[in-house]
Amino acid sequence: MKYMGQSLLKTIPVLLLITLIVFLLVRVTGDPVSLMLPETATEQERESLREAMGFNEPLAIQYFTYLSDLVRGDFGDSFRYNTDALTLVLDRLPATFELAIASMIIAVIISVPLGILSAVKRNSFFDLFITGGAVLGKAMPNFWLGIMLILLLSVTFQVFPVSGRGGLGHLVLPAITLGTGIAAEMTRLIRSSMLEILGQDFIRTARSKGLGEAIIVNKHAFRNALIPVVTIMALQTSTLVGGTLITETVFAWPGLGQLLVQSVNIRDMAVVQAATFIIAIFVILSNLIADLIYRFLDPRIKYD
Amino acid sequence: MKKLWLLMMMLVLALVVAACGGGEDDASTEEGEEPVETSDSRTLTVAYGTDIVSFDIHDHNTTSTEAVHVNMFNYLLTNQGEDGFQPDLAESWENIDDNTWRFQLREGVTFHNGEELTADDVKFTLERVAQDETLLEHGNYNQIESVNVLSDYEFEIVTVNPEPAMLNRLSRLGSGILPQEYIETEGWEVFLEQPVGTGPYQFKEWQRDDRLTLEAYPEYFGGEPEWDELVFRSIPEDSTRVSELLTGGVDVAVNIPPTDVARIDNTDGVSTVQSPTQRVMMLVLRTDDDSVTGDPRVREAIDLAIDKQAMVDSLLEGAGTVTRTRVTPGNVGANEDLYEQTLYDPERARELLEEAGYGDGLELTLTGPNGRYLKDRETVELISAMLSEVGITVNQELIEWSAFSQRYQERGFAEMFYIGYGNSMFDASLALDRLTAEGAAGESDYDNAEVNELLIAAEQNMDPEEREQQLQRAQELIAEDRPQIYMFQLDAITGINDRINFEPQLNEMFYADSVTLN
Repeated sequence: MKYMGQSLLKTIPVLLLITLIVFLLVRVTGDPVSLMLPETATEQERESLREAMGFNEPLAIQYFTYLSDLVRGDFGDSFRYNTDALTLVLDRLPATFELAIASMIIAVIISVPLGILSAVKRNSFFDLFITGGAVLGKAMPNFWLGIMLILLLSVTFQVFPVSGRGGLGHLVLPAITLGTGIAAEMTRLIRSSMLEILGQDFIRTARSKGLGEAIIVNKHAFRNALIPVVTIMALQTSTLVGGTLITETVFAWPGLGQLLVQSVNIRDMAVVQAATFIIAIFVILSNLIADLIYRFLDPRIKYD
Repeated sequence: MKKLWLLMMMLVLALVVAACGGGEDDASTEEGEEPVETSDSRTLTVAYGTDIVSFDIHDHNTTSTEAVHVNMFNYLLTNQGEDGFQPDLAESWENIDDNTWRFQLREGVTFHNGEELTADDVKFTLERVAQDETLLEHGNYNQIESVNVLSDYEFEIVTVNPEPAMLNRLSRLGSGILPQEYIETEGWEVFLEQPVGTGPYQFKEWQRDDRLTLEAYPEYFGGEPEWDELVFRSIPEDSTRVSELLTGGVDVAVNIPPTDVARIDNTDGVSTVQSPTQRVMMLVLRTDDDSVTGDPRVREAIDLAIDKQAMVDSLLEGAGTVTRTRVTPGNVGANEDLYEQTLYDPERARELLEEAGYGDGLELTLTGPNGRYLKDRETVELISAMLSEVGITVNQELIEWSAFSQRYQERGFAEMFYIGYGNSMFDASLALDRLTAEGAAGESDYDNAEVNELLIAAEQNMDPEEREQQLQRAQELIAEDRPQIYMFQLDAITGINDRINFEPQLNEMFYADSVTLN
């Protein structure tokens, strides 16, 4: 409990730093007014819009206004949609969660059996094929894989719908796209983690007392091999978020990723700031949860 | 375990096969493709690259958002290009004096909530956008001084200055008429959630960045709407939009990349239509004496060195039209003698450079945005290559749009920059306002006394014929002086399912009622 409290306290400066970096980045990279008005707008129109949106204030004042609003839970208004930025972001979370969870499930379904198999049958043809496949899976960019899956399974064979969010069918292709890279990473990790454990003394002891191979692998080795895997899964939250930006755009999936991409494109500052803040909270939380799961997996780990 | 492994292997293999196929000639690989299913469903599904911005018709300036709005809201009148202005909510209008326009409103028009349309709604709508400086469309309506209601169906619009383009202003983006009573009693927030207009389709549901659904409004004053339901989907990725079209997921897909045209046209059941847009791509050149481009011979040489038709044919795969004016047909004051015209004579270009004293070559900088317009980077690269053929060394600067835009506002480019201008006003006067001496200062520094006089006179000339002549003459002079060298007018490419008939509009609006089932 004490550890949890300390960890949560530590997140405050991290979050503050994130707000500052994001705040500066969206302002340094371009003037939203120039993106909102057409090429043919006059200087006067630009100036009055800039004034109306408060962009003429010094940066430091803009930042402190932003922070003091933030403390009250006010992330400002999206100037594209003219509504509360936080509401926009929160409205998109269910779609993104749905996609992220489905991708994780796919990643686990693929990586756990393949990782174990490849470790147990080390240096066999299977192993070669699986590790080769993992390299390929890691190397395939999301946007390419997504477009290829659409061309193959939607356009040519017409098995799944092309894009949008709807029934379970709509979820399959984006989840595979997003899950493949993570599955590849996890497969390699489970393999190497299993190999290390399988070579340890307690496994030899288990074997020498005549335990079945299935029990050794599944119960003794796998549980111990999970600890680094959980770390990676937690760290994958950020990969997942990065992946949703591309995957959601390719599949027209109405989630947080697509919202963030479009908001960055037009410098919709309030939305970019709100979205990155919420994402930061999730990344921090998932790391905390990983810490807690360690304790469950290996009672020897203590945090005091 | 074995099954899973087999499945994985098949998937990877299939992907590799699909990937290899993609590189081949599209026309030949797609011929055997299954024809797209057609149906007689009375739901029309349209795919855009972005979602609508808002239902606040005055606080956006996106053509694609307006293209959706025109199905829910009506203008007082519509601009039919060469066929002139046609009545919509207004039955008739007249220009009483230089600053006053009187309108007669159509009777018996109801909003989707049942309220009747009156002149008060018009006053409320137009005065809002004319007076509220924070609205994005304010700049295009601030010519309106006031709207005076004479009776329920009669009103006058008074302008600040004589405004010959008044009707153009009232028949474009943001010209819809809003329900005063509904907005004043319920508030803007309710209106933005549950928008109400007078159009053939009424609001049903909006899932942001996914789809907007509209349904037929049976009491529409123009008769029963053509479709039961309209669905506007937002699909940002080009290839996904094309795939949706190919699988019958959408009936209409806008902004098809030129490279996908052959693939669509070779699939049974779908096809593409090309139509001109208002966007003209151009080079803007400095004409002041301190710049090498200050010499008219150098500007002419640049023009003659660039083969615009070749760029249209290769880069745009034919989806564009060469032009020597920025004001294309369908706009008031267009000089059609300069349209579909282009100059290309690299021999003469070399001679001109020689005459200008640059026989040994010259060096200049060309700045262009990267990723803003269709094939902008490729166009700039091709221009540079063509210029180097005649001995002009080009320092190419390709920058991201927001950085480009910043320098554009500061008027901080070197000798030349590449840009594309749209024209939602359908009038030459506003299209040429950066070429008056004042408008050009610091940018092209173009200062031709005759052009300046013609353009300033046309701004407030209430005699349409004389005004048109002034504008056409100005375009001739500009084409000779070349402060701007026009490359081409961009076409819009739209993919459609063959179950429907669809005619694209020059203003890129999507009028669902003009789309019919085959």
